Amino acid sequence: MKQGTFIARHEREWERLEAWLDPKAPRKKGADTGGSRKPLRTEEFPHAYRRLCQQLALARTRAYSPQLVDRLQALVEAGHRRFYRTRRPEWRKVRQFVARDFPSLVRREWRHMLTSALLLYGPMLVMVLLTRQKPQLIYSIYPPEMVSEYQSMYDPSQHTQMIGRASTSDLGAFGFYVMHNVSIGFQTMAGGLFAGIGSLFALFTNGLMIGSVAGYLTALGYGGTFWTFVSSHSAWELSAIVISGGAGLKLGWALLAPGRASRGSALIAAGRDAALLALGAFLMLVVAAFIEAYWSSIVWMPAAMKYGTGAVMWIVVLTWLGAGGRHATR
Amino acid sequence: MLDTLTQVETPEGVTLPLRPAGVVPRAAAWFIDALIRLCLLGMTSAIMNLLGAAGAGIALLEMFLVYWFYMVLFEGLNQGRTPGKLALGLRVINDNGLPVTWIPSLTRNLLRTVDMFPVLYGFGLASMLLDSRFRRLGDRVAATLVVHERVPLRGRFPQDLEPQRPPVLLSTAEQIALLNFAERSGYLTPARQMELADVLEPLSGLTGPKAVKRLLGYAGFIVGRG
Repeated sequence: MKQGTFIARHEREWERLEAWLDPKAPRKKGADTGGSRKPLRTEEFPHAYRRLCQQLALARTRAYSPQLVDRLQALVEAGHRRFYRTRRPEWRKVRQFVARDFPSLVRREWRHMLTSALLLYGPMLVMVLLTRQKPQLIYSIYPPEMVSEYQSMYDPSQHTQMIGRASTSDLGAFGFYVMHNVSIGFQTMAGGLFAGIGSLFALFTNGLMIGSVAGYLTALGYGGTFWTFVSSHSAWELSAIVISGGAGLKLGWALLAPGRASRGSALIAAGRDAALLALGAFLMLVVAAFIEAYWSSIVWMPAAMKYGTGAVMWIVVLTWLGAGGRHATR
Repeated sequence: MLDTLTQVETPEGVTLPLRPAGVVPRAAAWFIDALIRLCLLGMTSAIMNLLGAAGAGIALLEMFLVYWFYMVLFEGLNQGRTPGKLALGLRVINDNGLPVTWIPSLTRNLLRTVDMFPVLYGFGLASMLLDSRFRRLGDRVAATLVVHERVPLRGRFPQDLEPQRPPVLLSTAEQIALLNFAERSGYLTPARQMELADVLEPLSGLTGPKAVKRLLGYAGFIVGRG
């Protein structure tokens, strides 16, 4: 079939498709003469698109002019983008992720999570015990200005309205915690791409830092304000950091020991899981920041109530991660 | 091939040509996005300053969202194009040719931290220069590509020509060459047209303006005019 005949036979189809794919594009004058060109209906699109693909293949093998092939190619590309376009996020998917997919993923990666937890809690525990005995150890971790700042933040005699922070507004503190903590979480995950070393380092240093502050303040006799402040949000925050670290370790592990897959494809598979884990950790850190800003800083609350909340939160987090989606029907 | 063009086959059995974008246009797109983000933060922080400490909190939240999710949201909601990429004619796609999806977009943008390491996208730059498809580390893990949007061919087939059968049977490649000549003749100077047409003197037996007309005639025959 000559090109002229081919165009004459299909021109109308292409114009309908072009108009449907890009309704705002200027139409050629006289292209819709006679008024016989009905607009394409959505349900007709898949069929029209497949026909177009076939026509492009024909045009190529029959060596039709480059212009025609290019036009059909452009149309196919636009159709392809529309046909397989990025879906809008669905609330159902979000709910499913929180209730089922995320906890299942955390459980599936329990080896990395366990390693990550040991890397965070190990140094933390050691530092708590050490600085309680020798408070001056904190100066090997923090500069003196920071130490005195922490000291004033948790000094029970100084705080009548707020504990644990300088900012006077709950919202201000919330913004700061989200920005600061989630960035740490994301960086802990991303650092895993350096063969896991970045995550390892982040977990270890965070463990040292948290542990030394806790031990130091306890030794100073400020333990009351400190532990009541951190207990309520600790479950969300620490678990999220462990999960971010685990995600990073998974990434690093895929690079070091890809198993039976190629290094590239192992990394792609691990990257997907790591991003999902980071997303879940992000949500957890937002919860933590909310509690930290609006609940943990309340001074008048009796210590028992704070510790009680902390215990309940740990139960909630561990039950959620341990049982979420366990009995889900696929 | 020296070309960076890569082909991807779609489920419908046709190939999509992908033109991966190199360092310079991507850096330019990033720069535009960075400026937009700065302006955005600058404008709102001025307003938030009036609101005191609570405003500072909102400003920090906004900073967080802009820093981590600006790219993800635009790539997800705008079919792989942030404003900077749109200005430069770039688009993020999954490396199978499909529009970028949420999780790959999130992956590549979370791992931006690694690409930015140690300074000025050092690792990202090294990764892009070592890769035939210019993928930074985040792109490799997310299996995404940044590609140039297609640029449509210019010119159109000349209308006034006298179709004439070529004296010999032409191969497919030769036919396409003639068609290309006809379609591009619109924006070639007459001197250049003649220069090209003279090359085919053994075929047409003519030179100068007559040769150009004769070649257009052959092209007209091939597409089935007249």
